[in-house]
Amino acid sequence: MSTPQLLFKNRRPDETVFLDGYRASGGYQGLEQALKGMTPEEIRLLVKEANLRGRGGAGFPTGVKWSFFPAEAPGPKYLVCNCDEMEPGTYKDGELLLADPHQLVEGMILSAFALQTDVGYIFIRYAYQRQAENLRRAIAEAEAAGYLGKNILGSGFDFALHVHGSAGRYILGEETALLNGLEGKRPNPRLKPPFPATRGLFGQPTTVNNVETLANIPHIVTGGASWFRGLALTPGSSGTKLYGLSGHLNVTECFELPVGIPLREIVENYGGGVWQQRKFKACLPGGASTPYLTAAQMDTALDFDSLEKVGSRFGTAGVTVFDDRTCMVAVTLNLIRFFARESCGWCTPCRDGLTMVRWLLETIESGQGTGEHLEMLKEQLLNIRGNSFCALAEGAMGPVDGLLRLFEQEIIDHLEAGKCPVTGNRTI
Amino acid sequence: MPTLTIDNQQVTVHDGATVFEAAEQLGIVIPHFCYHKALGAVGACRMCAVTVHAGIFKGLQMACLLKVEEGMVVTTGDPRSVEFRARVAEWQMLNHPHDCPVCDEGGECQLQEMTIAGGHGRRRYRGEKRTYNNQQLGPFIAQEMNRCIQCYRCVRTYRDYCGGRDFGVMGSRNRVFFGRFQAGPLESDFSGNIVDVCPTGVLTDKTYRFKSRHWDLQEAASVCPHCSLGCATLPGGRYRELQRVRSGINEQVNGCFICDRGRFGSSYVNHPDRPRQARLAEQPVTVVDALQQLAGQARELIETHGPEAVLLLGSSRATLETNWLLQRWAAELGCRPPLLAAHTPRHQAARVAAFDLADRLASLAEVRQADLLVLFAVDPLAEAPLLAVALRQAVRNGGRVLVYDPRPVELPCEFEHQSLTVLQIRNLLAEETVESTLLRELLDRAARPVLIGGGDLLGAGGLRHLQRLATKASSALRPCLVHPVLGGPNSFGSALLSPPEPGEDDLLTRLESGRVKMLVCLETDPLLEAPDGERFADTLTRLDELVVFDYLPTPLSVHATLFIPSTAPVEAAGSFINNEGRLQLFGRVIEPGLPIAVTGGGDHPPREFFTVTPGSDPQPAWQLLQQLLGGRADLQAVRQRMQVALPCLAGFAELQPGGPGLRAAAAVAPGRFEESLPEQPLGSLQLLVTPARYGSDLFSRYADKLAPRFSAAGIILNPQDAAERGLNAGERVILDTDAGSYRLPLTCHAGLAAGCALVENSAAFPHLVPGGELGFCQVSAEVAHD
Repeated sequence: MSTPQLLFKNRRPDETVFLDGYRASGGYQGLEQALKGMTPEEIRLLVKEANLRGRGGAGFPTGVKWSFFPAEAPGPKYLVCNCDEMEPGTYKDGELLLADPHQLVEGMILSAFALQTDVGYIFIRYAYQRQAENLRRAIAEAEAAGYLGKNILGSGFDFALHVHGSAGRYILGEETALLNGLEGKRPNPRLKPPFPATRGLFGQPTTVNNVETLANIPHIVTGGASWFRGLALTPGSSGTKLYGLSGHLNVTECFELPVGIPLREIVENYGGGVWQQRKFKACLPGGASTPYLTAAQMDTALDFDSLEKVGSRFGTAGVTVFDDRTCMVAVTLNLIRFFARESCGWCTPCRDGLTMVRWLLETIESGQGTGEHLEMLKEQLLNIRGNSFCALAEGAMGPVDGLLRLFEQEIIDHLEAGKCPVTGNRTI
Repeated sequence: MPTLTIDNQQVTVHDGATVFEAAEQLGIVIPHFCYHKALGAVGACRMCAVTVHAGIFKGLQMACLLKVEEGMVVTTGDPRSVEFRARVAEWQMLNHPHDCPVCDEGGECQLQEMTIAGGHGRRRYRGEKRTYNNQQLGPFIAQEMNRCIQCYRCVRTYRDYCGGRDFGVMGSRNRVFFGRFQAGPLESDFSGNIVDVCPTGVLTDKTYRFKSRHWDLQEAASVCPHCSLGCATLPGGRYRELQRVRSGINEQVNGCFICDRGRFGSSYVNHPDRPRQARLAEQPVTVVDALQQLAGQARELIETHGPEAVLLLGSSRATLETNWLLQRWAAELGCRPPLLAAHTPRHQAARVAAFDLADRLASLAEVRQADLLVLFAVDPLAEAPLLAVALRQAVRNGGRVLVYDPRPVELPCEFEHQSLTVLQIRNLLAEETVESTLLRELLDRAARPVLIGGGDLLGAGGLRHLQRLATKASSALRPCLVHPVLGGPNSFGSALLSPPEPGEDDLLTRLESGRVKMLVCLETDPLLEAPDGERFADTLTRLDELVVFDYLPTPLSVHATLFIPSTAPVEAAGSFINNEGRLQLFGRVIEPGLPIAVTGGGDHPPREFFTVTPGSDPQPAWQLLQQLLGGRADLQAVRQRMQVALPCLAGFAELQPGGPGLRAAAAVAPGRFEESLPEQPLGSLQLLVTPARYGSDLFSRYADKLAPRFSAAGIILNPQDAAERGLNAGERVILDTDAGSYRLPLTCHAGLAAGCALVENSAAFPHLVPGGELGFCQVSAEVAHD
């Protein structure tokens, strides 16, 4: 593997690296360096220059997000790590925390120093029990070593870090729903504005960042902004990315690869090609909420801008591949069932609109559909997208958008055949 | 003040207004579900989408969330907006059952209206509908969750606005459930509001179930008579039966909500024992004959025995017009001016409100906006329930609530409670304690302070102290306002009509003098509504004539030698003045008469036929008095005369029911500052008589719908006082008071100030009436009989 390994440099099969191993590979050097020689503002600028974009799915530039945060204002402020990784096809944060939990801890201490917050929370997915244990142990070790707590490394900076287990719903990955959940309230997303940077956790300024985003901070501090930008393969991109491979591939693992790597390389080199000698039909390039790519788009570079140009999104870089015997209506129905089930029930387009979409896809997939159902599906896409309260329904319509744009003929085949035309499909 | 264009009409709105509000200003109704003006905008239903053509955010936007910008151009009826709203209506209707024919909401259903307005008319979804098991939520609210469209208004009302805790939202996705954790009666005293806010038939009034369609109801804007706040209501009746009460809207008073006592406490109007026939010495007579008899006898007695022989007694539950005409009739007869309340201490307290506090009365709207609220001897949930909800809004806006009260006061919001006895509170007000100094400092720092005083426990003297404190805490920059809580719906009005006069004596003094031969009680029963009921009962034997006008089956109406039925507040137009001096009109909802449900014995249509409406003899008391006065003036003419005679009622004749009302501002006339507090006898306890939340005021006592909420009789002591007397909770104890001895079961409550004994006035214990003079009592163990 020629890609420089930052986040996965300590990753070994069935092994977790804790404090000794982490320090042996250069861990906490970034923190020491920063606390001794950098101001919070310098770190914030460095992250901005590094052009780190959020790794949780939306890809918002972290430095810009941090620039909205009133770091110098007095009063309680919070740093929250979003580790409620629950998007189907996305498991990279879990892998990272299985391998090397101290990276997140150091990343959070550095970020907290940059943002001048003295309390941090890691909001972790219910199913990630082992990862949570790893984090608790890493936090205890860091406390004992003087990296956490009062007067960290003699700098006068205090930071306390807590792990909070999620109740286990997809909506908790939405940052304002997460904050409600963390406060012990019902996790409905909040009305924005005010944004969390103004009124977040317990009504105080709060920054919410993804695990992978925060884990990148120590590397940016030690390596520098231009080095970090240079890691990516495409202009305008920066850094490496954890790509979680899944679906009909021979190898379904998580790899750290440069941002901007072409889809073909992922499928053929890292995924070992499509399984059972079948052909590539489509993939979700960045998790369940990103529109499909087809075989014709195999040479697309996997980065934020390139994927947007072809009508999809980089998302979380969870690449799920479907072979040529897959029914795309069935795949979309499967995804919609997940999203409809995970709707928090707050707004109508999501709660009832996704129910309607699910019913339409069920009708089409079961061979009961007519042209009217196809028109209704298009109508649903037009009306749900952009009009829901938060991004859940927006994301849920990603696959539906891909289906209608790229596989309309497959839908028509269902309508004309009066059954699913894909042989051997047993999804329903 | 930005200006925008909506549907080609320009409108200028206040800063911070939303597109929804701007459209409303133009009379354009944008379909909506989750938005409610008291609950605000939350952006959940997505029904209010409009299209923005010029503005920062273009395209489809939610009108309820979108702040108006200068020069914005918005359309509400363009094809894109209409198409989207039709889809939202379709989504809302996916699971909604087609049971409109048997749904109580039918005809007044926002979902019906908005589905039509949204342009969705054909069901295309053929999938499964989700269904729920419903919960029993107690005697007032029926739940039918299958109809729910998840607007979240019920929880936002029950929990967020009214502070209830036992009703909430559970589950997620399209299985969201609104209810209790377990089935059971709703605990909040404001539960009925969820019926008003529910846009469809999920939460309906159980007591009104299957009774009427909205379009068949007779309705009129009204004023709630259950306490002194004067909340706006919309009672509805049909077939001569008052069937339900909804909240009216008065932004200055209750806003959009009312309490359960006001909502479910209206069935006194239909009480089966309600006297509907004039009676002379047990024999039925016509009203005309009864009035003739009364006028003749009154004149004769005055001629024979002098002006003291006839005593006219008005009431705090009779209308302002009725009390005023009673004064006119007294003048015409030549007897002494009437007393306008049987309950002298409450009347005195109301006079302090009407005259001493006239320039600093705070409305409930001002309470909601206050940043510091100090309550002196007020238990809002018992004495003025909606005040508790107003306090909650103040707290939600960042205000602070301090309560000085001996009782274990509960409020649906955060507050700081200092458990002081009434004497200690009086001392605090008289600024004789360290706490007084601290309080003054707090008040001086507050931007919008309001003092709230309970007339019942503070009395006139305490309220005058409150007035002095408010004056001192006022500055040139801002006033310190006072919100007095009074006894009845028109206590203020009765007080305003009868300024204090030197040398006046009260009801019992006059009756006990022996010079009164005829007592005329106008819509009041001193046996139940005034302290010293037994003393009053003793004087009745000395009377030649006892004349009662009433619409309630009170004990006094049974004793009357002459009884004349009058109409209940919903059966005639009239007016009350609430505790902050707000004059409000109410209209006639139904005509008096025996409900068809009664005459038909449950059958409809009735099988017996009459040429006159059965039970329709009752007439409005003002009209009866007008007949005694010999005139034929209508109510409007009476009001004209009243506003000429009383400058503080300027504007009365132009007033309409249903508006904000108008402040009847008397000139400030500070009363004499004299008060001597009684000495507490050694070993005694201060006797506190508090109204029960349900069944203390006579309206709710005669309202069968409220019976499930009536409390049992009992006495509460501080555990320390009980221990000192060797008394155990659960035992029956003897309460010795000046008015008599009572056996009551004992409860201990550490929240009650030490040195006090608390009893609730209710249907189960009507013997002691709240608001009497500060009194003392002994509580001892029951002597065992052997």
